[in-house]
Amino acid sequence: MKKVIFASGAVLMLATGAAQAQEKTLTISVYALAQDEYKQIIYDPFEKICGCKLVVETGNSVERIAKMEANKANPVVDMAVVSMADALAASRAGLIDKVDTSKLSNFDKLYDIAKDPNKDGMSVGYTFYATSIAYRSDKMKIESWADLLKPEYASHIAWPNVTTNQGPPALYMLGQALGKDTPDLKAAIAAVGEKKDEIVTFYEKSSQLVQLMQQEEIWAAPIGRFTWAPFTKLGMPIAWATPKEGQTGGMNVMVVTKGSKNRDLALQFMDFWLSADIQTKIGEKVIDSPANKEVKLSEAAANNLTYGEETAKSLKLIPSAVALDNRAGWVKSWNEAVGQ
Amino acid sequence: MFQNRAEALALALPAALFAAAVFLVPVVILLSDGFRSPVGGWTISAYTDFFSNTLNQTVFLRTLKLGALVTVVSAVIGYAAAFAIVNLEPGAKGRMTGLVVLPLMISPVARTYAWIVILGRTGIVNQAFQALGLTEAPLRILFSETAIFIGLLQLFLPLMIISLISALENMPKDAIPAARVLGANWFQVFWKVVLPLTKEGLVIGGTLVFTGCLTAYITPAILGGSKVLMLETLLYQQVSVSNNFVSASVIAFILIVMSFAANILLKRVATARNKMRSQP
Repeated sequence: MKKVIFASGAVLMLATGAAQAQEKTLTISVYALAQDEYKQIIYDPFEKICGCKLVVETGNSVERIAKMEANKANPVVDMAVVSMADALAASRAGLIDKVDTSKLSNFDKLYDIAKDPNKDGMSVGYTFYATSIAYRSDKMKIESWADLLKPEYASHIAWPNVTTNQGPPALYMLGQALGKDTPDLKAAIAAVGEKKDEIVTFYEKSSQLVQLMQQEEIWAAPIGRFTWAPFTKLGMPIAWATPKEGQTGGMNVMVVTKGSKNRDLALQFMDFWLSADIQTKIGEKVIDSPANKEVKLSEAAANNLTYGEETAKSLKLIPSAVALDNRAGWVKSWNEAVGQ
Repeated sequence: MFQNRAEALALALPAALFAAAVFLVPVVILLSDGFRSPVGGWTISAYTDFFSNTLNQTVFLRTLKLGALVTVVSAVIGYAAAFAIVNLEPGAKGRMTGLVVLPLMISPVARTYAWIVILGRTGIVNQAFQALGLTEAPLRILFSETAIFIGLLQLFLPLMIISLISALENMPKDAIPAARVLGANWFQVFWKVVLPLTKEGLVIGGTLVFTGCLTAYITPAILGGSKVLMLETLLYQQVSVSNNFVSASVIAFILIVMSFAANILLKRVATARNKMRSQP
């Protein structure tokens, strides 16, 4: 009888232990990009450190935030990475909590721009990118964002559609160049609208631009730095512009889900991702630009990323509230002025 | 063949249930979104809103225009090509039909990207135009209605040719010589003999080409971009960018109605010609 009780107890202990191990699961929601590299550099090493299981959900941010909203009462995801503006949208929808940065040992090592991008304590930037103009330096001279619309250049450029990530930042900088930088971007949209028949195309996928540049269909286009590398391999005199109004860009941030049961584990994971070691490895693979200022990248990687204190300081990002409150209006104005 | 109607129905039931579950039900749910009022009940306000927007009007008319144009031009070229093919020796006929079908086996993405190279400022078309002295500076063909028209025509012409080959092969062999002997010129032969006898092929080919043009996404997206929107590219924009499923549902419904309308219209035209011919 004693043996039976002992055996039952052992089985019970084993089962409880297994259940506890099973409970230690962290669910993260990320962009679908470069998942093989992320797994190798971040996910697998973290699982070994925490002794937990990482469940990765991928998709674009619209889908993922819609999913978080659907599961608001009983959250599945513990932490997510989204754009700055989407983080504010999630915050307004009550889907996320303040990030306890005292538990992030790497927080103080971040560039200032990444520390609290929305100034509400609800997100921490893990990567950012510059948006400027890739152009044929033998055919044109770009000193200002407004130069793109010069009569001699307009019929040789591609402009990002307002619905892309590069669209609003490019219009924002054009507005600054025109001296009319209102949040509704009306002046910039009108200026592009006036040249709509001349502009070669309003692109939606930046991957198309390399071919158009190679065929000399276009000489210039506003692009994100993360798509710069293929242009450098074309064997053509293509330069990265530094317009006098500055460069713009975007930032992706980490957020923690309201009501998550694995908050400490989520913060531990975020801290791991923000460490100089991990950010260096991700940077060297030319996936994400580092937000940790202690990261030292090779010249090859640095050239293809948005890298360094100077660059970080020079970025003029559209405030998230401006983006959220005006997004629908931008698309409407764009469709009226350009879409027809 | 079957003992009774019930047996036939029982055999058709699994396929019918499958089609209902994976096609009809989702489509009805999707389309009903366009008629749902945000305050409850049903409304057509999403449709009136859609058609009162000038961008949507332009896109709707452009889609209709390009679809009709591609269908008409592919019918004209298709008849010529199909005639040539059905009059070949059997071996050559098989090879030529194979060549017509060949583009259908290549991914539309690859085919459409090839057009970017061909129609570009430094592409073959512009090089030829400049060599022939037809133009001094290269023409802008890409990202225009012309580019979409060329892409769609190349994409769907094989469907028209195949439909017409099949129709022409079923036509009595002595119909054309008989018409010629009776004094008909070539235009009369085509209009009064060939067209009525091959109308089924034309209706099938026309419907395939027109509905294909309406629902094609890759070609208008790559060759027209957001500068020259068609209904299908507008639908994608509404779903993936604006997250506006109501507007997307409206566009989907319009596309379905346009496809059915084209089929009915083509059948009517064919039937009307028959009636005219049978009148004394």
